[in-house]
Amino acid sequence: MKKFVSLFVSVVLSVTFCFIVWVVLGHDYQWELIQPYWGNLFSGWLTTLGVSVAALLLSVVIAFVLTAGQLSDYRVPRFLSRIYVEFIRGTPLLAQILIGYYMIADFIGWDSRFGVGVVILSGFSGAYLAEIFRGGVESVSSSQWLSARAIGLTEGQTYRHIIVPQAVRRVLPASAGQFANLIKDSSLLFVISVHEFTMQAREVNSNTYAAFEAYIPMILGYLLLTFPISMLSRFLEKRYHYEH
Amino acid sequence: MSIEISQLSKRYGATLAVDSVSVNFYEDDQVVALIGPSGGGKSTLLRLLGGLESPDSGKVILDGSAVPAEEEALRQFRMGNGFLFQSFNLFPHLSAIENISLPLVKVHGWAENDATDRAKEIADRFGLVEHLEKSPGQLSGGQQQRIALARAVAHKPGLLFLDEPTSALDPEMKAEVLDLIEELRLSGQRIVLSTHEMGFAKRSSDKVLFLSGGRNLESGQSAAVFENPQSKELRDFLAKVMKW
Repeated sequence: MKKFVSLFVSVVLSVTFCFIVWVVLGHDYQWELIQPYWGNLFSGWLTTLGVSVAALLLSVVIAFVLTAGQLSDYRVPRFLSRIYVEFIRGTPLLAQILIGYYMIADFIGWDSRFGVGVVILSGFSGAYLAEIFRGGVESVSSSQWLSARAIGLTEGQTYRHIIVPQAVRRVLPASAGQFANLIKDSSLLFVISVHEFTMQAREVNSNTYAAFEAYIPMILGYLLLTFPISMLSRFLEKRYHYEH
Repeated sequence: MSIEISQLSKRYGATLAVDSVSVNFYEDDQVVALIGPSGGGKSTLLRLLGGLESPDSGKVILDGSAVPAEEEALRQFRMGNGFLFQSFNLFPHLSAIENISLPLVKVHGWAENDATDRAKEIADRFGLVEHLEKSPGQLSGGQQQRIALARAVAHKPGLLFLDEPTSALDPEMKAEVLDLIEELRLSGQRIVLSTHEMGFAKRSSDKVLFLSGGRNLESGQSAAVFENPQSKELRDFLAKVMKW
């Protein structure tokens, strides 16, 4: 049975893979069609890079605040952080972008699409990161707290020297995954006309009807952003590795 | 050491872990052993004495002053003493030497160099020099417990609390750790320990307290208590643990 399943899986995957390669390679490429648009694609890629870096930094800050709130000894910050995280994780990003831009940003009179996009993405990703961080902190054994208390470390010192260093290593892989999601999710900002990578590729396609020529560079462009993150995560995991 | 324990109680949920324990120890009682069945209240009493838990009622007067109730005062109290756990509780992300020096630097305000020198000095005495750069995961249980003991005594604690220091170790490692504890005793260290090592308790402790069901069922001079147990519970307990 096990043999049969692995055979089946191998066959299905190989056939699918070959089919895709056949379609992609078999296409009659006309790269000259998108020749005039390389500049647009590149500017879109730069915009995506800019949005992603800004949102990545801001989302970490937001996640720290939310994690501190959720781990607080007081009920009010705990409750508010919980509500925020549940609300953000329970609604579609697309809806958050539309409401954030057309209702909230409009209400306060902020019309920078880039700026609003960064804030909305950060708020979204921050909620997911906060759950990852909280899980990391809570996964450190309570005996570490006991030991730190016995030594006479204060609560702040315990977090700084004992809990956080152990939690960081545990949250690295999941955080890297969330950072990659953030980059990919930035493609939804086209709905508020941020001229990011996906939007530029779509425009190239609608101007030239050259779908393959527009979207294949787009896919490679996204990989160019997400792949270094997963490499960096692996490097850091190795570097901070210790035996249990 | 002088310890006056009066009507001390501690409850966890439905369990009365320590049930109105009263007992006194005096200046010339250098080593006190808590014995009794698992779940009998030894660890809880030790944590109450060491300031790691606060009692529900009753009080402890140690060397003339009450064990404080307020957290910062408790922390100061714990700083002055040392605590060793059954499961070592070393910090897995730090090397052995950092485990010993971190409290000296962060809690006691020593300079890094002095702390490192002190850690090396103790490691030398405890036969641990070649293990100092290893992380806890690379050490045997006996080595980990000796590092933990080094951590607990590096700042020359007034009182050393040992919570079943050898229960998680195989016989050879038990002997290594008991040798060190005996050496500390001979150097004048005041010790309160909970233990299942009846031979050690009998030979090395001045006073013994038999706890079962959270109650003080018998206490007194070790020699007398072991030679001539008064209560039926203690006679049964000793018969059982001495049988093999």
